[in-house]
Amino acid sequence: MAKLVSLHNKAHQELRISPEKAEYHGAELNMVPVMLSEFLKLAVQFPIALTKQKETGKFVCVSMLGFAEGENLFWNHSTLKTLYTPLHIARQPFFLGRSDGEANPEAKADDQYVVCFDAESDSVVTNGGELLFTPTGEETPYLTKMKAILAELLDGEARTQAFIDTLLELDLLTAMQLDIAFANGESHRVNGMYTVDEKKLNALPGEAVVTLHSAGYLAYIYAIITSTGQIYSLIQKKNARLSAESLNV
Amino acid sequence: MIKPVRSIVIVGGGTAGWITAGRIAAEHQHNSAQAVQVTLVESPSIGIVGVGEGTWPTMRNTLMKMGISETDFFRECNASFKQGAKFAKWLNGQEDDFYYHPLMLPQGFQKGDLSAAWRREGGARSFSEAVCYQEAVCEHGLSPKLITTPEFASLANYAYHLDAGKFAGFLQKHCTSTLGVKHVLADVTGVVSAENGDIAAVRIKRAETNILDELAGDLFVDCTGFSSLLLGKHFEVPFVDRSDVLFIDRALAVQVPYAREDSPIASHTISTGQEAGWIWDIGLSNRRGVGYVYSSRHTTEAEAEATLRNYVGVEFAGLSPRKIPITSGHRELFWKNNCVAVGLSAGFLEPLEASALVLVELSAEMIAEQMPACRAVMDITAKRFNETFLYRWDRIVDFLKLHYILSERQEPFWVDNRKPESIPESLQALMSLWKFRAPGDHDFTSNNEVFPAASYQYVLYGMGFETDMNWRSESETERLFAEEQFLLNERAVRQALNTLPSNRELITKIKQYGFAAI
Repeated sequence: MAKLVSLHNKAHQELRISPEKAEYHGAELNMVPVMLSEFLKLAVQFPIALTKQKETGKFVCVSMLGFAEGENLFWNHSTLKTLYTPLHIARQPFFLGRSDGEANPEAKADDQYVVCFDAESDSVVTNGGELLFTPTGEETPYLTKMKAILAELLDGEARTQAFIDTLLELDLLTAMQLDIAFANGESHRVNGMYTVDEKKLNALPGEAVVTLHSAGYLAYIYAIITSTGQIYSLIQKKNARLSAESLNV
Repeated sequence: MIKPVRSIVIVGGGTAGWITAGRIAAEHQHNSAQAVQVTLVESPSIGIVGVGEGTWPTMRNTLMKMGISETDFFRECNASFKQGAKFAKWLNGQEDDFYYHPLMLPQGFQKGDLSAAWRREGGARSFSEAVCYQEAVCEHGLSPKLITTPEFASLANYAYHLDAGKFAGFLQKHCTSTLGVKHVLADVTGVVSAENGDIAAVRIKRAETNILDELAGDLFVDCTGFSSLLLGKHFEVPFVDRSDVLFIDRALAVQVPYAREDSPIASHTISTGQEAGWIWDIGLSNRRGVGYVYSSRHTTEAEAEATLRNYVGVEFAGLSPRKIPITSGHRELFWKNNCVAVGLSAGFLEPLEASALVLVELSAEMIAEQMPACRAVMDITAKRFNETFLYRWDRIVDFLKLHYILSERQEPFWVDNRKPESIPESLQALMSLWKFRAPGDHDFTSNNEVFPAASYQYVLYGMGFETDMNWRSESETERLFAEEQFLLNERAVRQALNTLPSNRELITKIKQYGFAAI
């Protein structure tokens, strides 16, 4: 269970975070929410798709990291073997919390958000790792970098949502129809994943295409379409893992 | 000379009127010169009956065909999910007397019949419990789907409970703003006849201005409710009284508020047998609709009100029940000349099994899809429509009567219901066959069946009917098949109970987040 504590330059002056261990938060994720600003970096390695949030039924953009629940095929020997680490993993163990005035009495009234960290995270270490504050209470470059990631996530959420709303308005999404047979004969049906329907995209009237273009969405749409092919590299990873397992028997 | 059907005038604006208007307009909606214009004329002074609150799963298709969003429908019609009906106290009136008629077929029904194998279990569990996981879903107050399930898609099959008054208004808005239906507020005061006896126009007195006018049309749809203004009054098509079979002739209805905002919502209609009829109990998202339908030959109004009060409990104080007279029956024909009746104007039996709205949907669908292109072929369509719907009314009468004839209750209402002279011959013949074999698809071979064989099984075996199958032996294959189906059903129960949210929880989420279209 995560225990979120708001960050304070005096109380947490000695706090050390191990960025390597922070990646453990992604060890058992078979998908991770992603932001529009990451699409082009993600598309070279991960399938980007849409799925519905379990609690609300609202669509979110995700990168697929594995097939079964809890299966991260990029997680190998306690590190994440990726060319680019999605912001939602890179941000660990930091979160933005709504300021309620009590958690951080020194926060200015117009400061809507406060930086929190997960006090239960394995990345909280006593030796090594990164300090968050200098002895005089200033932010370290590490914390500055992490805050920038949080800011990008906050800004990205609204932008990504607007993008999804546009895809829905134009009726461009379609459910993925994927039945995968792995090397060991095991089969898997990909459920609940959605992608952009190329036929519908190609049939869009001119005005709609102009709308997508002026919003800067076309590149993201094609990134989704192109990235779908990465499912084959995911299957390859899974097969490699399965054959490694069978050799170990 | 070919006179194309271009202008359709619907008289009456209840659910029947708007569903028919919406289905026709959606089916024939194009902006070309050949477009069909639908006009609905509605009296501002005549209210709608609007107690039809239970639907069939067909309503999902009806809404979809009209291009309605299921989320909007839930939000604006106080709708909730319905996964079947629970019949309590119909067999002997004891507290533990109940059975379900769920909306899903028995497990593996397309491949084989489970009733014989179930009977060999020796009554350890009810038929509906053994063969269909939906009973467990209803008993636990769960919904038939998830917030991530797309609009109109389902995990367990479902229909709706809805506020009929709100529904009519909701459909009106959709029909007039999206489907191009013209809405005229006026009283219909008479009919202008053509030489061939057709209705050339209806005379109207426009609301507010009181201007007298005529509305001409090629096809007129009578949705005027019990008054049956065009088919009954103008064309004098006789009424076929079915009260010799179905005795219900009165309804007392109340709207009962929930105790708390988050009180559970039953995801099935609860129908409880009473001294001289039965009480419906329907959970909408904002209130319950409860009503006693009874036979005035078997009880008095005062007794009926006491029965209803007793059922509702303390909440009854301060509620004033609405009285609705019912004459069980239907017209001899439904389509005459260029006039077709849909809804109560065509007939009404009783609220059991929610057959009223489904007949509206089936009628609207057939009119929309079989729309005669011109007057010259209309009589052929009319004949086919009449044959189809007379068959359907007869089957519904049979199926409703089936609910009453197996009861062991001893009150005069129930005893009279079992008298052979009150049971249609068609039903008596089927009952004789079913003494030796279970209802199957071969018993119902028309394209126009309303209730499938499975529905007859649920009611028959729910009411304790004995089918003697000892004259034929069960093969090993059949035994293994049944065993497997029972296991599959038990697994489906576990899976459903683990996955599905409560009916209340999902309805709250629909209002907050809505369903996605995909």
